[in-house]
Amino acid sequence: MRGLDNKLARDIVSTYRMMFYMPNRDETGKLGTADLAPFLFDITASMAIFVLAVLGLGVIASMMGIFNFAHGEFLLLGAYTVYLAQDHGVPTWLGMLAAPFVVAIIALALERTIIRRFYAAPVAAMISTFAIGLVLRESVRLLLGGQFYSVEAPLNGAFFIGDVALSKWRVVIILATIAVVTASYLALARTRLGLYVRASLENPALARASAIPTRRIYAATFAFGAALAGLAGGLMVPIYSLNADIGVPFLIKSFLAVMVGGVGSFGGSVLGASFVGAGTAGLPWAIKPVVADVLLFLVAILFVKYRPTGLLSLWRK
Amino acid sequence: MSTDSKDEILKSHSRRLFLQRTALFSGMIALGGGSYLFNPRGAWAADPIKVGFALDLTGPISVQGLPCANVAKMLVEDINAKGGVLGRPLQMFLEDTATNETLAVTRVSKLVQKDDVDVVIGGITSSMRNAIKDTIVNRGKKLYLYPQLYEGKECTANIFCTGPTPAQQCDTFVPWLMKNTGKKFYFTGADYIWPHTLNAYAKNVVEKNGGEVVGEEYSPVDQVEYGATVHKIMANNTDVVFTTLIPPGLPVFVKQLYEAGFMKRGGRVASVLYDESTMSISSPAETEGLASCLDYFRAVEDSFSKQLFEKYTSLFGTKNPLSAAGGSTGTYRAVKLWEVAAKEAGSVARDAVATALDHAKIAEGPGGGAEIVSGTRHVRMNMYTAVAKGGKFDIVDKSNGPVAPGECLRS
Repeated sequence: MRGLDNKLARDIVSTYRMMFYMPNRDETGKLGTADLAPFLFDITASMAIFVLAVLGLGVIASMMGIFNFAHGEFLLLGAYTVYLAQDHGVPTWLGMLAAPFVVAIIALALERTIIRRFYAAPVAAMISTFAIGLVLRESVRLLLGGQFYSVEAPLNGAFFIGDVALSKWRVVIILATIAVVTASYLALARTRLGLYVRASLENPALARASAIPTRRIYAATFAFGAALAGLAGGLMVPIYSLNADIGVPFLIKSFLAVMVGGVGSFGGSVLGASFVGAGTAGLPWAIKPVVADVLLFLVAILFVKYRPTGLLSLWRK
Repeated sequence: MSTDSKDEILKSHSRRLFLQRTALFSGMIALGGGSYLFNPRGAWAADPIKVGFALDLTGPISVQGLPCANVAKMLVEDINAKGGVLGRPLQMFLEDTATNETLAVTRVSKLVQKDDVDVVIGGITSSMRNAIKDTIVNRGKKLYLYPQLYEGKECTANIFCTGPTPAQQCDTFVPWLMKNTGKKFYFTGADYIWPHTLNAYAKNVVEKNGGEVVGEEYSPVDQVEYGATVHKIMANNTDVVFTTLIPPGLPVFVKQLYEAGFMKRGGRVASVLYDESTMSISSPAETEGLASCLDYFRAVEDSFSKQLFEKYTSLFGTKNPLSAAGGSTGTYRAVKLWEVAAKEAGSVARDAVATALDHAKIAEGPGGGAEIVSGTRHVRMNMYTAVAKGGKFDIVDKSNGPVAPGECLRS
């Protein structure tokens, strides 16, 4: 561009410097190798948390074509279940086991009464889930009096390997995420029920003609997605403290993950969530956190613009 | 998904549907309002004085708004039981500002214009104060009292601030931290005006006292991962982490610091947002040793403060307790200072009360008495430094008499 005068160029350079100004690098100004282990652990844990949080949304979006705006509140209900367990003196790990079932039952009731009426109109369905989310969130807020409550993890503290602290509960979350992703993948790809679900998605009319009860399949899929959200909420709550807005920061980033990963595939959601999780925890190591958040969205938007079919399509051509 | 029902839905513009939806929608509007009117009990000959409260009773800030509303109700009933003000009872108009500035302006306009209240007390966040203040003082020509701790610099005529300022929260607190923990400070905060301004003030106090600022970092308000920040803090041999992060990030940050071993190696977290109400946000192990500085703590050894807390708890329970960081102690001072000023002025007219408020003084209150510093519209008050121990705050230092707000001084 010829019109780029010196002042503008200077402004751009100074903005760039400001963005990448780090208050406390060591003398060399670079992150050293000693930082590598905590950096990798931080990113892995964050990826696991986001994959766990996104999975339920991804399943519902890809299998049913509905963007569930109440997803954040399903996370919240899972978290609230664990809090209730703790409040009544029940061990929190029992609450975490119960959370997916509690949330699945609530979701099933919502699907039967409200959401099934909107399958024909996806936009109306989205708005109805938004309304459901709002009602759930404000109800929990009322129950909590707006307060935050810490929930004790079944495992506290950290493992120390040399100087590197590995939070025990984050290690558990990484392992749980691997297990849940594997199990969900096997259930959808290898079982007869998974086949029915995929058939109902691909061609509902033909699926019905082949005696697959598509309506019941939709209800079950919705409940399954919600159960995953409930489990995620239950496992996450010791890290974030219970509050009515616990799901809100995850909702927007979950959408981002599903968009980046590619709507319509299970693997895409997992990849997209890993990308968002890695960016969320990883970028603040290199640049100011305030800029990191914006940058993450910028990269994601550019990606969706130029690769609208998602990450997975990159090597599935 | 069946396509036949999709067409049905899209073509359904019947009169019956229209009527159904209109009925539903108007029903929602009728039920969704957030206005509450509390009429004074008993028989009164005189017209009531209308006191307006604009508080967040729903939404994320309701955790701070609810105890403020409780304090307001308690005080209004108390004042009425003792004969009201100038022989007139107080009538309480409470509007829910719902943590939503747009909605709040509409509701405060109603308070000021339709209800025509004599004074407005409320607004919790600075963004809320900035949204509603013009409606109250400029267009509404009313008196406005703002109760919450904040970043200072609110020097508009007819606005009186009754919560602690940066000077009050830092002047005694930072030297205590340096003496009892160490001289290397790391500042973190959420990226908006209060954390930036408060940190800037505290940094200044640190440097003036010979301390060192080893880092400063701001995060988006809803950031939930602090691994990178915690790593820098650990690598810098920081003594004190002075944080102005707010929930939801605050508990995650404290937990990550704890797990990284910052507290174990002798580091201390300082946050002036922690009080008894905020305490439940983290587990007792994580907050052990955390320091805060506020105008009131439950442990304050002052019989009036203790009585007040007991009365509040017997009326409203423990879910939303009386606590300083949420603005409920500031609400107490706002109502009582206004009462004193109105009595002295002999009227509830704005200018007369404002003139009397300029030097108004209360002998008792949560944390002790308070008085407005003439010409500044801010309050001089006692400040306490407290350290968390087993999930409770112990007072470790008390200011040497009331601390000056240090705001709006004529230069």
